[in-house]
Amino acid sequence: MALKRINKELKDFQRDPPSSCSAGPVADDLFHWQATIIGPSESPYQGGVFFLSIHFPTDYPFKPPKVSFTTPIYHPNINSNGSICLDILKDQWSPALTISKVLLSICSILTDPNPEDPLVPEIAHLYKTDRSRYNQTAKEWTAKYGGMFSNS
Amino acid sequence: MYKYESDSDNFMDEDDEFVDYSEEEHDFTDSEFAMDDENSDDNDTEDAGIAHDDRPRRYAETQATQPTQTQNTFSADAGDFEDDFYGIDGAEFEPVISSRGAKRPWEVDFKVYDPDELQAKQEAIVARMEPVLATSRDATTLLLRSYLWKDEPLVEDYLTDPERTLTKAGVAVDQTRPCIQSGDSAFECKICFSEGSDEEYFAPSCGHRYCTTCYKTYLVGHVLGGASWRIKCPTPKCNMLVGEEGARLLLAGDEESLARYNTNLTRSFVNDRDSFVWCPAPNCKYAIECHVPRSALRTTVPSVACICGNQFCFGCQLSDHMPAPCHLASRWLEKCRDDSETSSWIKVNTKECTKCKSTIEKNGGCNHMTCRECRYEFCWVCMGPWSEHGQHFYNCNRFNEESSKEARDSVSETRAQLERYIHYFTRYNNHEQSAKLARKLLATTEKNMEQLQRELTLSWIEVQFLSDAVDVLSICRSTLKWTYVLAFYMKPDNQMIIFENNQSDLEMATEQLNDLVENPTNHGAIEDIKRKIIDKTTYVKSRWETLLSDTTLGLQENRWQFVD
Repeated sequence: MALKRINKELKDFQRDPPSSCSAGPVADDLFHWQATIIGPSESPYQGGVFFLSIHFPTDYPFKPPKVSFTTPIYHPNINSNGSICLDILKDQWSPALTISKVLLSICSILTDPNPEDPLVPEIAHLYKTDRSRYNQTAKEWTAKYGGMFSNS
Repeated sequence: MYKYESDSDNFMDEDDEFVDYSEEEHDFTDSEFAMDDENSDDNDTEDAGIAHDDRPRRYAETQATQPTQTQNTFSADAGDFEDDFYGIDGAEFEPVISSRGAKRPWEVDFKVYDPDELQAKQEAIVARMEPVLATSRDATTLLLRSYLWKDEPLVEDYLTDPERTLTKAGVAVDQTRPCIQSGDSAFECKICFSEGSDEEYFAPSCGHRYCTTCYKTYLVGHVLGGASWRIKCPTPKCNMLVGEEGARLLLAGDEESLARYNTNLTRSFVNDRDSFVWCPAPNCKYAIECHVPRSALRTTVPSVACICGNQFCFGCQLSDHMPAPCHLASRWLEKCRDDSETSSWIKVNTKECTKCKSTIEKNGGCNHMTCRECRYEFCWVCMGPWSEHGQHFYNCNRFNEESSKEARDSVSETRAQLERYIHYFTRYNNHEQSAKLARKLLATTEKNMEQLQRELTLSWIEVQFLSDAVDVLSICRSTLKWTYVLAFYMKPDNQMIIFENNQSDLEMATEQLNDLVENPTNHGAIEDIKRKIIDKTTYVKSRWETLLSDTTLGLQENRWQFVD
């Protein structure tokens, strides 16, 4: 069941990939994918390329996939381990969601962080009180960690 | 030996039931303490002294109580409380002690339910509301559940705007019945991507179809996670709930999941309602209904007794803490957790800076102290300012000097508070320990009773006075324990003195009874002891009743001021 569904998702993804995202299995293991997100243009992450790792549980899609950033990113809802605080990856997961929709949701929290439900309270505080400093720091991180392709 | 004017057919059952109870030491508030009963002239000739008519009353009263076990309900008069607290089933709530007309002031009405009765109750409420709302049974159930079984707001909202009410509650406006179908070649399950006319799919009223296997896996996952009626359609952003009819359709044949689903439904029925709680005893399956609203908890202590024997407070589910109200009891317990050990240590080992009241432990060095907080210099022995001590004079003998006296007086107030706390805590703790010992005492008492039976060839019922005495002891200990909590938070005035007099009367009598029961041989011949114990037990009982009645009324009348 899980394998069939993942295969189907992979095909759909390759046929009609969402803009600014890519994803696919790391090796032969269909349960472990790697994805990339290109920093959205109207955000301080612009110009960055962020890698994510995706692990599908064996009871996928009834349990959510485990998605985390492997590229460091300065964001109120993403911590230093790359863990993402996103409702649809936790209690709001629905088996009718797909990886493509998850990646789009992650893109949207890059543009619009949710400081009311922060994973890193310090960043959320800065985001709320001093937006320009937050933007500045996020840009610096993007250039330092997420810019490896555009720089090289 | 016992005479019963009426209803004697029921008597044996009732008797058995109560024997079970008294072994648990819990129900005797009801069975033992009856004072007002027309059967009081039905004397037991064997029992001498003032207690002689106690037992017949007890059974007479038992007869008046509920015939079935699960409806064992004490006392009456929920009418004291806010009417609007009565939910949809308020009219059905008929605790039987009300009819006995012998409610004692501290008792509250309640009713014990087992899981089957809870399920029946839910069904009864739904059946009654169905014609009122004119919705399908499934929709009625979901509406009631999402309104936490509050009928009035539900009816009001529904009659004002049925569509909005349904949508908000997660019920499809179009109440087509959910079904399992197949044969649609355009069907594709968005979960497993199976497609075609062979696929069997579940079609709920919201119209979001998924294949039966996926829908069932989804449902079972949630059911095993403890969910029941709050399970939504798997479609993101669809707020429609999977109703009971649909769930049962999908779970048909899977007995384990179905049982779990039913358990979850019943659990949420109890958890969602203010007038129900689960008995907090480990592995107890019963729930208790009681209509004491949250707002009355400052003036009422709703002590209830489960069929399992656990006696607890309906308001906070802590074990029974009569006569202290919930807010004081929880404050006290928290204080004890935080403070008791610490406070005693502080009292013994530290002093306070006379200037800034910082607590200081002297762990070495001389008597010349410099407060780390405010840099005030003082003498550890007399607590007076160091400036008045000579430069090289490290041996204080200035106890009576004016300034040292003043310094000591200034710290004495905060210290006095601490000492006050310790005073109440030691007494509270003492009764708690004694209550534990009383349970041990019960074991030895049982042996003594057997011995008495053998030696004096008395009947079983004739030696019951001992276990009755231990029962009384144990409940009095519990009450006394909590009177100290009440007293600790009371502002001292005349009313408090009256309260403390009642308390000390009960305490003294309790200690005397304890002594009699524990060392019966010190008190003369067996008939003599028996009479003494029975007399004392009755006296303690009446003191206990006086104290509880008085505190219950006092709380309701706001007779005492409490420290904030």
